[in-house]
Amino acid sequence: MLLGDSGVGKTCFLVRFKDGAFLSGTFIATVGIDFRNKIVAVDGVKVKLQIWDTAGQERFRSVTHAYYRDAQDIYIYIYLITGYAFCDTDRAWLTEIHEYAQQDVVIMLLGNKADMNNERVIKQEEGEKLAREYGVPFMETSAKTGVNVELAFLAVAKELKHRAGRQPNEPKFRIHDYIESQKKKTSCCGFL
Amino acid sequence: SRTPPPSLSAQVPLSFSLSKDMAADVHDKKVDWELQNGSLAPADGSHSERSESPTPGLIEGTEPGAGQDRAMFVHTRSYEDLTAGGEVKGCPQQMESSLEGQSNMEEINKDFNELSTQLTGVAMDVEEEMESGLDERSLSRQRSRQDSVRSEKEEEDVTAESWRSHRKHVFVLSEAGKPIYSRYGAEETLSSTMGVMMALVSFVEAEKNVIKSIHSDDYKVVFMRRSPLVLVGVARTCQSEQDIARELLYIYYQIISLLTFTQLTRIFEQKQNYDLRRLLAGSERITDNLLNLMDQDPSFLMSAVRCLPLATSTREAISSSLQQAKAKNLVFSILLSRNQLVTLVRKKDQFLHHVDLHLLVNLISSSTSFREGEAWTPICLPKFNCNGFFHAHISYLDQVTDLCLLLISTDREDFFNISNCKRRFLERIKKRSTYQALQDSLQNPTYSCTQVGIPDLRHFIYKSRSSGLFTSPEVEAPYITDEERERLLGLYQYLYSRVHNSSRPLNFIYHTGESENLLAWVTSGFELYMCFSPMGSKAGAVAAIGKLMKWIRKEEDRLFILNPPTY
Repeated sequence: MLLGDSGVGKTCFLVRFKDGAFLSGTFIATVGIDFRNKIVAVDGVKVKLQIWDTAGQERFRSVTHAYYRDAQDIYIYIYLITGYAFCDTDRAWLTEIHEYAQQDVVIMLLGNKADMNNERVIKQEEGEKLAREYGVPFMETSAKTGVNVELAFLAVAKELKHRAGRQPNEPKFRIHDYIESQKKKTSCCGFL
Repeated sequence: SRTPPPSLSAQVPLSFSLSKDMAADVHDKKVDWELQNGSLAPADGSHSERSESPTPGLIEGTEPGAGQDRAMFVHTRSYEDLTAGGEVKGCPQQMESSLEGQSNMEEINKDFNELSTQLTGVAMDVEEEMESGLDERSLSRQRSRQDSVRSEKEEEDVTAESWRSHRKHVFVLSEAGKPIYSRYGAEETLSSTMGVMMALVSFVEAEKNVIKSIHSDDYKVVFMRRSPLVLVGVARTCQSEQDIARELLYIYYQIISLLTFTQLTRIFEQKQNYDLRRLLAGSERITDNLLNLMDQDPSFLMSAVRCLPLATSTREAISSSLQQAKAKNLVFSILLSRNQLVTLVRKKDQFLHHVDLHLLVNLISSSTSFREGEAWTPICLPKFNCNGFFHAHISYLDQVTDLCLLLISTDREDFFNISNCKRRFLERIKKRSTYQALQDSLQNPTYSCTQVGIPDLRHFIYKSRSSGLFTSPEVEAPYITDEERERLLGLYQYLYSRVHNSSRPLNFIYHTGESENLLAWVTSGFELYMCFSPMGSKAGAVAAIGKLMKWIRKEEDRLFILNPPTY
């Protein structure tokens, strides 16, 4: 389930992953929640991702809440690196996910619009700090260039695959470590 | 005083009643206007009156297009019903009275100068509040993110002549005078203008009166008070005041459909100076689209739903597949293609109001976000119940033909259930090759006026009043450009306002214009509006009525939904 304030690029993020395209032009607010499927291959196994793209506007909060527990335990919270500094809204979102969702959830924190480095307001370190505070994996992404988009969903797919068919001896899939090892840095030094 | 629209100045209005003697023979059969719940089409059996007479169905329920059984829509006579307001339980009753006499108007004029100086102060206060308010911080945060959202609109200079010269402005404000919506220009730049509007409303109300409209040489200002909102339309069009008021009411209902009446009133009870844009964020496009749609689509004017012409067998197969794909909480299943109704299946004894369907149609056409995947959204259908939310499942079955399925449920948590209904429906129609038949007919979703075989007839609108459906051929030459199409709609608006004028309603009007001759005929059963080439005669036009009515009767199976299905 993709969550975050209105206009941070949740739909663009999803469309980049699903269709490999960038939705440019005028902003079109998602109405309610939008349900889409995508099948990805993880280590030779097909994983069907059912993705909820939610509307960020306040008036849709109740319908989003109703589906918290139905989303298969993975929440992706997106903020904008070019937006305002972290504030109570972002913390409220993360706390809310913990509250509404079940215990065994995975939350991922993403800072979108990493391509707009010169308009950056929130430093990468600040994102990392917030992620540590909530104990969630973090990376910066760009729906425009596609950086780290595939990785976010792939990590989700791997997590799900491991949950579904983990052998007793097999080590637990560590989504944190996986993302840390795979993610592309998007900090001030530019793209790698 | 009203001046006739320039293009219509050569009119020779002729109005006389036709319906009296023709309807006499059927009048002995009692048709009860006020049915038990005041909302349904006439009782069974009235359709047996159908005849081959050239002017059949003068009475409601026997006209071409009337449902065989019961109508699928809440029954409305015309937009008087709309403007009466408050017929839905729990919705606000509207108190309306008009300005009495000239003296009041003069008084207002006199005091207006004084008032406007005070107003600058009022507007400043509003702005100050906006800057200091807590709500506003998160709003501006949200707004800055959407800087590309309505950039064109936001950037428009509201002091420029180009802004003033828009054909139709629409403003929505709160009773505290706070801007909520403007069709053109950014709301925040219009706080003083909206402050003046609210001051006008309050000023007249202080005298225990209600301001309804201001008429000037080339524009009309129409006010509509629907507490806690005030809606104002400023139009340079030829539309009547009633017509503009009807459009404002649609905008009001549009806002209710996003929030419900309960939520809207509660918010303003708690905080009078609340900035409603915060809750409506992202919906501007829907409201913009509704205004544009009303400028082009006669459905809103007609208070009726346009039906997609389709072979009865295909339509019935689709309907029955929708009937089968039911669920406990499903209330309406609606299939649409390009704003035309393919079919509507409803729960027994539940009726949809055409206003609610128009809002749904607008919602779908206003956003491309529904085109992929399956959307699930709360929506209030204000005419059905303005205090609660339904939940709509919206999905496109086909991108090319814009075939869109809407499933309306009462349960917020019903998504997977309803999604399953969609899957079952699709499987069923694909298996029975119904889908292909439907897709084939969607290749030619309209018909040409030439099929009727009346040489001088350019276009027409025929509405069956009991079914709430209308049919209309494709708009063809000479109405090719957008301006020409809007002009044609303007002609229909003119006819409509003449026949439905509340102080002097007409049954029949023949109008000779410079570029076309127009005819309208309204009976208790149907409304007919015809547009002829300017070369024809009145006798020819009157003779054409019979021919057109015969044609519609012959084609009614295809043009209308005669057997509205239920689950």
